Amino acid sequence: VSISTWAWLALLLPLLGSLVIALGFRVLPARVAGIVGTAAIGLAFVCAVGALLNLLGEDAEARHHASSLWDYASAAGLDVKLGIYVDQLSVFMLLVVTGVSTLIHLYSFGYMRSDEGYHRFFSYLNFFVFSMLLLVLAGNFVLLIVGWAFVGFASYALISFWYRRTTATKAGMKAFVINVVGDIGLVLAAFLIFRELGTFEFGEVFAKAPEVFTQGGWTVTAICLLLLVGAFAKSAQIPFHTWLPDAMEGPTPVSSLIHAATMVTAGVYLIARTHVLFYLAPTAADIAAFTGLATLLIAGTIALTMTDLKRAIAYSTMSQIGYMIMGVSIGAYAQGLFHLMTHAFFKALLFMAAGSIISAMANRQDIDRMSGFWRAMRFTSLMLLVGGLALAAFPLTSGFFSKDSILAYAEVRGGMYTWMAIGGYLGALLTALYTFRLIFRVLPGRPCEEAQHLIDTGELYHGPAINPANEELEDPDVGFPGATHNVAEGSRPMAVAMALLGFGALFAGLIQVPGVDNVLFGFLDPAFADSPLSEIHPSVGAEWRGLTIGAAISLLGIGLAWVLWVARPGLPALLRARLRPLYELFVNKWYFDEAIDLLIVRPALAIGRFASSTFERFVVDGLVNGTKETVAGAGGIVRVVQSGFVRSYALLLIAGFAGLALYFLLSAS
Amino acid sequence: MINSLLWTPLIFALSGLVLPKRAVGWWAAAGAAVTLGIAIALLAGFDPSGGLQDTVDVEWIPGLGVDYSLGIDGLNVFLVLLTAVLWLGGTAFAAFREQERPHLFFLMMLLGETATLGAFVAQDLLLFVLFFDLMLVPFYFLFGAWGTDREGGPTASAATLKMIVYTLIGSLLMLVGAIATAIIAADGGQISFSIADLAQDPVAEGSQRWIFWFFAAAFLVKMPAFLLHGWMPDAYRAAPLPVLAVFSGVLAKVGAYGFLRVVLPLFPDATVQFQEVVLAIALASILYGSVMAFTQTNVRLIGGYSSVAQLGFITAGIFALRADGADGAVLQMVNHGLVVAPLFIIVALLAERSGSEDLREMGGMAMRAPVLAALFLIVTLATLAMPGSANFVGEFYILNGLFQAKIVFAFVAISGIAMSAYYALRLYQRTMHNRVPEGVASREIDLRDGLVLAPLVLCIVGLAFYPQLILKRTDDAVQTSVAAPTRAAEPGVRFAER
Repeated sequence: VSISTWAWLALLLPLLGSLVIALGFRVLPARVAGIVGTAAIGLAFVCAVGALLNLLGEDAEARHHASSLWDYASAAGLDVKLGIYVDQLSVFMLLVVTGVSTLIHLYSFGYMRSDEGYHRFFSYLNFFVFSMLLLVLAGNFVLLIVGWAFVGFASYALISFWYRRTTATKAGMKAFVINVVGDIGLVLAAFLIFRELGTFEFGEVFAKAPEVFTQGGWTVTAICLLLLVGAFAKSAQIPFHTWLPDAMEGPTPVSSLIHAATMVTAGVYLIARTHVLFYLAPTAADIAAFTGLATLLIAGTIALTMTDLKRAIAYSTMSQIGYMIMGVSIGAYAQGLFHLMTHAFFKALLFMAAGSIISAMANRQDIDRMSGFWRAMRFTSLMLLVGGLALAAFPLTSGFFSKDSILAYAEVRGGMYTWMAIGGYLGALLTALYTFRLIFRVLPGRPCEEAQHLIDTGELYHGPAINPANEELEDPDVGFPGATHNVAEGSRPMAVAMALLGFGALFAGLIQVPGVDNVLFGFLDPAFADSPLSEIHPSVGAEWRGLTIGAAISLLGIGLAWVLWVARPGLPALLRARLRPLYELFVNKWYFDEAIDLLIVRPALAIGRFASSTFERFVVDGLVNGTKETVAGAGGIVRVVQSGFVRSYALLLIAGFAGLALYFLLSAS
Repeated sequence: MINSLLWTPLIFALSGLVLPKRAVGWWAAAGAAVTLGIAIALLAGFDPSGGLQDTVDVEWIPGLGVDYSLGIDGLNVFLVLLTAVLWLGGTAFAAFREQERPHLFFLMMLLGETATLGAFVAQDLLLFVLFFDLMLVPFYFLFGAWGTDREGGPTASAATLKMIVYTLIGSLLMLVGAIATAIIAADGGQISFSIADLAQDPVAEGSQRWIFWFFAAAFLVKMPAFLLHGWMPDAYRAAPLPVLAVFSGVLAKVGAYGFLRVVLPLFPDATVQFQEVVLAIALASILYGSVMAFTQTNVRLIGGYSSVAQLGFITAGIFALRADGADGAVLQMVNHGLVVAPLFIIVALLAERSGSEDLREMGGMAMRAPVLAALFLIVTLATLAMPGSANFVGEFYILNGLFQAKIVFAFVAISGIAMSAYYALRLYQRTMHNRVPEGVASREIDLRDGLVLAPLVLCIVGLAFYPQLILKRTDDAVQTSVAAPTRAAEPGVRFAER
């Protein structure tokens, strides 16, 4: 079996799964739908492994293949095929996406068990995986845009999955519209590429680009900036990030899969994929890197003040993607992707653990209400801790190696990039701080009411069904969210998925230990050989120096969190009071929502109101009514027009036409 | 073949008059089905590089140089198919429901089909004008007599009157323009209305300038374009929904088609000269239509104004005066027809379930109607030109053409895409999601309506996988159509001065 066949199979299996579940929703039992969905993704993972083995059997230089099924839209000089492009980068993404997705499907199998929308959920989830694979396998810009938009739609559909909640439908709309703005950026970039290079195919574009574009030229810079609009919208980078926290309205497995592990990292993939262009446009690359840096710091400060468990983790996701964007923009391609992979593991795990806790809390997400879960749910707590350690870059966990590899590169590249490394370390301090703020507030201490209920009775607490976002009573006859909740302690599929991810979160970093092994970079580097930036390699000594600093910062952050939220519980309130303006800024999310509302939403609605209430009535209708009134002024003619003229004209036309037709028939014979 | 395509609906319409009341609807649907069969056969035998084919050319009124001349080429082959598909859908949907005076209703329905097909296949300018005007007649009766009077608004006949006044003025201008073109072109010799002949030797630039606008007025009103759309809101609210489905799906396209068939080849110099003016109108239609679509609460008007915006895209594609833009325009005409017709059928279903056509009185209907919700979702995504749909390919081609020709216009036009995402999704969410208001009785789509809706949705899905089906067959004809203005645009090669 050739490598392209493996890739096509991996792509089509999730689509098939989605279709089978969607079309069979009346006949398939819920269990079967879940099994079909999970198996489809599991098989796709097998295909991805097949593709990897195939690729490893080839020369490192020859590891890229284009394959197409049929002409998709080829006319007038545009030549768009339904084609895929398989190389180290896409196979890497293929493995990460299918691997993590399989586990999250497994988790969902347990987590969503009592939900009435089970079929719909798995159908959408499979469709999402199909879209994501299309995104990473696409062989040209048009198909990339298709995958790009499909994941956006899947994200929308799953955010507003519980569609009786108005908060969920609103959040879905927001995510969709912002993502469409991103799509437009990509479309315009594609047009510009076509104008300059006359093709949309990846292979040709990247081969021609260095010949056609001059380094730093304005055209290639414009292309890259437009690509960045797409990347920022999808990867929730400032200022296109406001949809991500709201996206937490979706069921927790969705947050785990789409809004943490896979889709939101598409921007990182895009920059890595088009690194040839970004190398030619250093200004755009620097803008991307600075945006990543700004996002990682700003999101870190917001995560520090969020009291909603899932939203806090969402801001953390934004912040971590900031690292990746910064990495791939400054030339640390493989390093950025390394962090993408480890982040997929530990962040998916964190969301799974959070979901388990939220289930135990009867869907409440407010950490102010949570405490003492260490005693109530040992396994979930352990997993939360494992995910948290990896996120906080605790020494020897996966996040420790991946994050520091980016910062070490930045430091070695020197100049202003040194400052990025410093900013990154500052972000790492924030990360450790906000991560362990969550952990120290949720796990230790006296069990809260819900946790105590679980300890006492061994059963989950079930309060009235309330939408946690707006305290609205849920619609009881709908059946979603499901009536009963599921936690990892009571559901084998959930526990297995979490345990496997926990293993990855702890040990995945060991494939890339400086001076010891070079598995991942050795595999990925040839894909970036056409960019001179990939030749910068920090020495082993520099890497370990960076790792030591990283370890110190991580431990410092965790220790500080311990002081603030365990040892001196009164201190945070005191700090809040002392640093009032700063706290207000953070807790109001730096006022991005308000600014967008003021600058874009309100003006658009005002224009709309003006158009429909004033312009349409007085200008458009006025033209006709004016004429009519003039006619009416002439006296009585309107009646003639209304009753006689038009009708007679119509009849006359019919009669005339019939007569002419008759004439034709007679004269033709 | 082409004759049977054209006259089959009319034959069924007339023969239906003698049938009993209950059978007439089915007879009409059968007629539409037979027409569809012929249209499919025409497509099957179509040669993408064969130019004008399946022609019929008979002298009709020799003294006036008018021929009964029909033909199929890349410009109209899919529009003919679209007409046949949508008419079958609309007729069947109407046949499932009781109609007052069914004999007349279905007579008018099928007469409308013949007239529309005639406008698409006519290759003689006067014949085209004649069919173009004839289209108006059945719809006048259908809107006026079977439409709904609006409380506190105009009656159905008043609304229809407004539409007729608008379109009639356009049509009369076009008639004058057509006659003038033939007479000026003949220059005292033998008059010919053949479009091919007239395109061979366009009239002088000075004459082109005013005749261009006579034709453009008729087409822009039909679409309708910004500022000429005054008839649309009232007429759309009055029209019976199955009729509106075919009206909005097909008739608006005749206007866009007219630009490609008549205006570009016959008035190339004026086309080049007024390119930016028409583009500006198109952009205004996109922006205005979109803005209106997201402020309306009447579901019909959301569909109506979104059509204004979509037709704006199509016009912009044509007036990019590049093959890719025009290819996209033809593709998009088919796409938009395939999307807007099911949309209005769904609107009818939603109105039946909620007893209202106001968004504010709808909601939560997806719960008990998953199949309807799924079909509606696909239509919605195609409406907003989701990448992956054929609509996206159409818009991509259109905007690419515009981008390469007039980059500033492209940047403005593309903002319409973001707005379309909002208004289309808003329509879907407000009807299918959120809480269920009082008075909404959600129930699943029944088999009969499913039989109408599902095939249309399947067409959308099928085209999404293979838009090349259309692009491959239209490209040649489109290239010919845009060739004249392209040559005219070259400095110093003004056609009229040869």
